[in-house]
Amino acid sequence: MELILVNLIDGLVTGLLLFMLSAGLTLIFSMMGVLNFAHASFYMLGAYFAYQISIALGFWMGLLLAPIIVGVLGAGVERYGLRRVHQYGHVPELIFTFGLALLIEELVQFIWGKNQMPYNVPEILNFTAFSIAGNSIPAFKIFMIFVSVGIFVGLLFVLTKTRVGMIIQAALSYPRTVEALGHNVPLIFMGVFGVGTALAGLAGVIAGPVLGTFPGMAFVLGSIVFVTIVIGGLGSLWGALVASLLIGWLTTFAKSYNVRMEDILNGIGFSTPENMGESALRDLWTITSPQIADILPYILMVLILIFRPAGLFGKRHQ
Amino acid sequence: MSTPALELTGLKKSFGKAEIIRGIDLSIGKAERHAIIGPNGAGKSTLFNLITARFPPTSGTVKLHGESLAGLEPFQINRKGLSRSFQITNIFPKMTVFENVRCALLWPQGYKYSFWNLVNYKRDLTEGADAILEQINLLERRDLPAGTLSYAEQRALEIGITIAGGANVIMLDEPTAGMSNTETDYITDLILKVTEGKTLIMVEHDMSVVFGLADRISVLVYGEIIATGKPADVRADPRVQEAYLGAALEAEH
Amino acid sequence: MTDQITTDPSKPSQRMRAGSMTITVLPWVAGAIALAVMPAIFTSNSALTIMNQMWITVVFALAYNMLLGQGGMLSFGHAVYAGVGGFACMHIMNMSDFFAAMPLPVLPIFGGLFGMGMAMIVGSFSTRNAGTVFAMISLGVGELIAACSVIIVAFFGGEEGISGDRTYAMPFFGNEFLQQIDVYYLTSFWVLVSAILMYLWSRTPVGRMANAVRDNPERAEFLGYSARWVRFYSFTASGFFAGVAGGLFAINYEILTEENLNTASSGVILLVTFLGGVGFFFGPIIGAIAFTLLQTVLSLQTELWAFYAGVLFLATVMFFPGGLAGLLMMHVPVFKLGHARSLVMPYLKTLLPAAIGLLGLAALVEMTFHFRHAALGDDEMTVFWTTFDTHTILPWIIAGVVTLVGLGIARATAPSLKEAWSAANTAPPVTTAKGGAA
Repeated sequence: MELILVNLIDGLVTGLLLFMLSAGLTLIFSMMGVLNFAHASFYMLGAYFAYQISIALGFWMGLLLAPIIVGVLGAGVERYGLRRVHQYGHVPELIFTFGLALLIEELVQFIWGKNQMPYNVPEILNFTAFSIAGNSIPAFKIFMIFVSVGIFVGLLFVLTKTRVGMIIQAALSYPRTVEALGHNVPLIFMGVFGVGTALAGLAGVIAGPVLGTFPGMAFVLGSIVFVTIVIGGLGSLWGALVASLLIGWLTTFAKSYNVRMEDILNGIGFSTPENMGESALRDLWTITSPQIADILPYILMVLILIFRPAGLFGKRHQ
Repeated sequence: MSTPALELTGLKKSFGKAEIIRGIDLSIGKAERHAIIGPNGAGKSTLFNLITARFPPTSGTVKLHGESLAGLEPFQINRKGLSRSFQITNIFPKMTVFENVRCALLWPQGYKYSFWNLVNYKRDLTEGADAILEQINLLERRDLPAGTLSYAEQRALEIGITIAGGANVIMLDEPTAGMSNTETDYITDLILKVTEGKTLIMVEHDMSVVFGLADRISVLVYGEIIATGKPADVRADPRVQEAYLGAALEAEH
Repeated sequence: MTDQITTDPSKPSQRMRAGSMTITVLPWVAGAIALAVMPAIFTSNSALTIMNQMWITVVFALAYNMLLGQGGMLSFGHAVYAGVGGFACMHIMNMSDFFAAMPLPVLPIFGGLFGMGMAMIVGSFSTRNAGTVFAMISLGVGELIAACSVIIVAFFGGEEGISGDRTYAMPFFGNEFLQQIDVYYLTSFWVLVSAILMYLWSRTPVGRMANAVRDNPERAEFLGYSARWVRFYSFTASGFFAGVAGGLFAINYEILTEENLNTASSGVILLVTFLGGVGFFFGPIIGAIAFTLLQTVLSLQTELWAFYAGVLFLATVMFFPGGLAGLLMMHVPVFKLGHARSLVMPYLKTLLPAAIGLLGLAALVEMTFHFRHAALGDDEMTVFWTTFDTHTILPWIIAGVVTLVGLGIARATAPSLKEAWSAANTAPPVTTAKGGAA
């Protein structure tokens, strides 16, 4: 029972972290129709910038400044890169962001090298918040939960309760009309792109110390984020939230409970073959759940696509 | 009585709470030229999209030569001999004019998804496409990218693509929209020529085109057909007059 | 029978056909001759290795462009189909009895069939949509299969991969493919055959409709074609030729690992294809040749070659979405008008300084990298055959000045190049046209 609680918290942390990325990605996608392949790269930049700032000014300044810098960079990318490519259509846009992701990874290696950076949890949060049956829950995890929930509530508030949010929502569906009403739609796009990437940057700042700050971090998380929004349904913010939490818990539970495929297969009535060494299916029998935890999201995605092509919350379209 | 080419019974369509098409019964005979007119927003294009399965209807049936089209995809309906054009020009702009027409010939001539035929060496395709181009007067533009044609020429090409496959039910959605008088005359003649002996259903705003072409006319107002009949009868119908006049008055406010 | 041969020049269709035979056959003959002659010019073993790599990339890139260029489907996981084909070939190589009864040149067909099988499975659900959704699915499936490679050890061989020996095949007219040159001709043969087949595919009804569906799927549906099935067939065919490329890889390297499947490989093939140009059939061929050369030359010279490749790629997407092939074909009208000569000088005036400026910039980048990452005390570096100390100011000034001057001149001369370009593209006035018509 206690272990379940610990896993619930761990999964929540992972899920919320995923949501900070997928939320920005979803906003950008539903507004501009562009799936920003480089989204996770901005998350990585957030972590690296925060690390660099934390050396000079401490963790908290990093938390404040790094997302802003990342957001400004993101807005710049939209203004000077994406807007230019936009005229060629969606596929070149996607290719552009893909190239950008490659380039940012190379750039990060160029500046900071290939090794992991010693970007650590700040002293003030480096203690055990409480423990459940001998499993200690570090304070930083609680801090991560608070930051991401705060961001989520803030985002919800801005989108549903403020004028800016109204305009953004309207621009999502009727960009022409909104432009005709005198709003600067390109500026809104740039702003949304900037905020979306800043969110990714913030996720990087708080995830860097836990998951490690290294050049591959964008790629490790990036593909999971894409899977998340496909599962949730492209363009659906609620879908992104549900899918993020689902994947967070799924992977966490799969990792902590060692379920063996052999037991499952025996359970549903198949008996273990005598000569495992020669069977072509021997790998199937020896699979354990921690082993496949990292690919569970992909399997889930394929299943969702087969049985519900528009995703969990996506609109069915022709 | 022979089976009608196209028969609609109780056709309805709602988008959310808005009921756009509210129960249409219409029967169009073989080789009939039928025009659907009505004020803006009456649901004419929606009706077209329902018939060709671009949207699924909320209720009601569409029958082509007595055969229900329920649950069929657009491409399956097309294969049954119903072909349509679009209100907004819908061609393959990067391909040449010739290729646009040839694409329309591939399925009807039985090439299907084959990968053992080379289209360039098929006489029937080349000659068939050239014959269509000749019919729509675009032979001179044959090897130009379709996107570079003038608006009227693109509309003509759109009609060419629509009729190329030899479908016996042709649906044209505002073929003369946005054209000058001479261009309109050109397209009207073209339609007369290419739909000889076929069933034609068209949505049109230009009354001179409608009265020049149609054997029968249906008037669609707010998702319902208020009158169907010969052009002269429809013109004299007081309800039609009222609907048009009313709509015109409303538009002024 | 006779009336089939007569051509009536007044009919444009027949005018076209009379000339088209020679136009379509000529490049293939030239290609075949080039393939055959190359080893006589570049005789070293390393050159053969590079050329083999190049040709394999050509097949893969052409297969990839069946999707991207002709079908409008962007795949982020196409390495999977090449990889699965390759792995299947490795397993066949290890089935000693079966393999001993099969001549080696047949093996790529099996690679193709397995790649195709895989593509059919994935395509059955991924081709419902083009565009973003397709791209995402391809990425997800790619990741999934790459991740499976460490789990399904029986097929993918885990971390070590699967290796084999091609020489166990049945001798092919006495040849056991021991020498690199033998493998070269085998590869060349398959490159030529695959390229021709892929070209012909683009001329078939399903190939033409792939273009139609790419440009306007809705219209295609109203012409009797299911957009989904057209995509599915393109995807399947592309999977087949990707599998052939995988089979050729297996024959050449005799080992396949997870690296052949992963997203990085898929990304490379996207880069190659886009760099070459997706708009023309021969684009990926140029791309594969240029990229392989670039990779070979640059990776010997600098650690940062991936960085340069990334910059080049991004610049292509932003400024030359037609790729190298697009750049080349842009010049066709100029040649047709006979104005090519008038462009030579303006090009030299702009591109030469630009190239020098870019080299200067590259030197700055290299020096910065060295300055930041070289081991302590290792202050000397060599750039462009010059060795110097990066901790002194002079080299920085020189590189900086070269960069600024080079790019500055290029910038100053760019407007006149633009003028010359538009002048060269303008058709001559009517008077000359009259003379030409007579």
